[in-house]
Amino acid sequence: MLIFDQCIESISYLATLLTNGLIMGIIYALMALGLTLIFSVLGIVNFSHGELYMIGGFVAFFLLDAFEGLNPILAILSAGLATFVIGAIFERLFLRPMHQGKVQRTGEYAILVTFGFAFFLQYLSLAIIGPFPFKASRFVDLAIKPLFGVIRVFQTRVVAAAIALILIAILLWFIQRTWTGRGLRAVSQDKDAAAVTGINPLRMNNFAFGLGAALAGMSGAVLVQVFSWTFNVGIPAASKSYVVIVLGGMGSIPGALLGGLILGAVESLGTGCFPDPSRGLAYQSAFGLVIFALVLLIRPQGLFGRKL
Amino acid sequence: MHRKILWALAITAVALLAGACATPTPETIVEQVVVTEIVEVEGESTTVEVEVTTVPGRCAPTDLADVETIQIGATAPLSAPGSVTGGLVMQAAFRIAEDEINEAGGVLGKPLNMILNDTEGLPERGTAVMERLITQDCVTAIVGEYHSAVGLTMKEVANKYHVPIVFAETYNDDITGVGYPEVFRIAPTSTFTAQMDGKWLSEVGDFNGDGEMFVVIVAENTGYGTGQVEKADLWFPEYGLTHETFFADLPTQDFSSVVTRINALDTVPDAILIKVTGETSYNLQQQLYEGGIDISKTIVVANQVALNHDEFWQNVPDGAFAVVPRIGPWASSATETGLAFAEAYRARMGRFPEAYAFEAYDSLHIMADAINRAGSLDPDAIIAALEATDFVGAAGTYTFPYGSGNTPEDAGVPAFMWHQWPEVPLLFLQYTEAGQHSDDLEVIWPATYRTSDGAIIRP
Repeated sequence: MLIFDQCIESISYLATLLTNGLIMGIIYALMALGLTLIFSVLGIVNFSHGELYMIGGFVAFFLLDAFEGLNPILAILSAGLATFVIGAIFERLFLRPMHQGKVQRTGEYAILVTFGFAFFLQYLSLAIIGPFPFKASRFVDLAIKPLFGVIRVFQTRVVAAAIALILIAILLWFIQRTWTGRGLRAVSQDKDAAAVTGINPLRMNNFAFGLGAALAGMSGAVLVQVFSWTFNVGIPAASKSYVVIVLGGMGSIPGALLGGLILGAVESLGTGCFPDPSRGLAYQSAFGLVIFALVLLIRPQGLFGRKL
Repeated sequence: MHRKILWALAITAVALLAGACATPTPETIVEQVVVTEIVEVEGESTTVEVEVTTVPGRCAPTDLADVETIQIGATAPLSAPGSVTGGLVMQAAFRIAEDEINEAGGVLGKPLNMILNDTEGLPERGTAVMERLITQDCVTAIVGEYHSAVGLTMKEVANKYHVPIVFAETYNDDITGVGYPEVFRIAPTSTFTAQMDGKWLSEVGDFNGDGEMFVVIVAENTGYGTGQVEKADLWFPEYGLTHETFFADLPTQDFSSVVTRINALDTVPDAILIKVTGETSYNLQQQLYEGGIDISKTIVVANQVALNHDEFWQNVPDGAFAVVPRIGPWASSATETGLAFAEAYRARMGRFPEAYAFEAYDSLHIMADAINRAGSLDPDAIIAALEATDFVGAAGTYTFPYGSGNTPEDAGVPAFMWHQWPEVPLLFLQYTEAGQHSDDLEVIWPATYRTSDGAIIRP
């Protein structure tokens, strides 16, 4: 048997898997957006992305816990603001020297400093918050009936995906329609040319890193009502984000969206249709890594990325 | 010629003096063999002693006069991917036990120094930690560990260096099943817990009334989870149960595909057993409820972390009527020592001790008691004393009835009963309303401890 029987015999089973996979995919896309934005503008991979996602989740949780009745949207925006500030300060202190020519081996330096920042955030969180799992109350108490009577979806994820779509739409509008967004695009295309036109690349780098961190933090804030949150929750999130941006094309925002949807669908269908039901879930992460490897082999620039 | 011999003797003397004055390095000798070699030099004779190491690397002293503190090693997962929650719980319990032992005069009249090491939940780290404890920290004995996968490698090192070890929270049968003289365990075995599920479920019967007793197991892909499933494969048929298993790696967050598969099964399960530890179990359990599992037809059996009620209700808000297995005493069944420990633990950690807290606490006390009764640091004496243990700990009265004088084979019991505490308290508790305090849980099984009307409370 090459595929689980239900995947062939039951349209409703397949549809349930696909729907839930796409919902997760939207969430993955939001998780990965910050990473791809930073790569696009600064040209580096931010290895502390998962930890900024974790910090955002905790900020939202503690705000919602401290202020009863606080609107979750405010908590999400606050988490974004907090991680923006953290990201901007980090970029100013540790990454700007790279762009000012004060660092010789910039590639290695960026990897080391962002990894170091990741460990710092992770273990600082462990020291302050502890290892215990936290979870925010549901943002909205909805009773969602099965779609078309057969497709069961997870209420908290539907809410998270809806918020994610709004945030993605706002980001796309910002990048396309505002002067700052155009400045970011200009710097990502050609730093020197952007400088000639009066755009300060260093300031744009700082803003981009802060914005990328904010997106990571907001994605965490959106998901803290879906999953249990611990100090190491960022690790699997980061690994999925790397797969999404490689699949979609590093530096491409539409690519991150499509990459997230593809990853979510592949993981869900892969685990749900794997012939051995006892093993399908154990290989969930492997499906993403197979895509990662295939993309690097066949089309290393990803679906929407620039050719290497 | 004369001058060369004098130079040789002078260099030898300097070397001997330098060695005597150097910082003492841990002795690597367990047994000494003295070889006398006579070298005759112009009427003089020189006797050369050669010491031979029979257990290379082990540096624990065996002569009490040579030590100022008694070193006992302890292991627990204190960083990912191990269960940090479990590790920190054990750390707190170890420290309480260490303080109590020292306040009572220490071990053999000397202060106890417990050296705690982080195994990270990784088998290879467990091996490395054991090697360091035994060959560098010179511990006399070792206690602890949370993860079965790590325990499986640790026992090999304990056997290699002939160091006694009492395992606290490692369930895999093979840990004691191989019959190493050094290895003892106070946690239940996977078989105990597998039979526990079967015995209870057979008493519950056909929960959803569909004519079948069918169970789904979602297990983590580790020594613990696979051990649980292997034993279910072995024992469930004895109790008339059929089952389907799904494995998950730690730390999986998204269980939607498994929930979808369970919903698509031809037979509605009477129970879903969550054999996943830590926060991952919370993710799974809440997603079962969100994904449409009907608790009027399917019992959800949580991981024992669900007994931390604040954490449980925050992470699993829909968990009413969840059943929780409890290894170890509960508020209603603890000994006096257990209640005193619970008070000390609650002062540090703010809650009733988890089973592995009891186990960590008792493992250190048991080892200290054995060393005291042995009156020596010799590993064989300690092992003999452990075999003769009759110690009232926090979780109950500890004995190890099956060992060198009464092997499991002779007694007609399974091999894993070697150096295994047989009276581990195994309970099933049940939440009956949202937000309930875990101290108020009904004990639904076994009948000896039951506070409810039957083996299950229906919603």
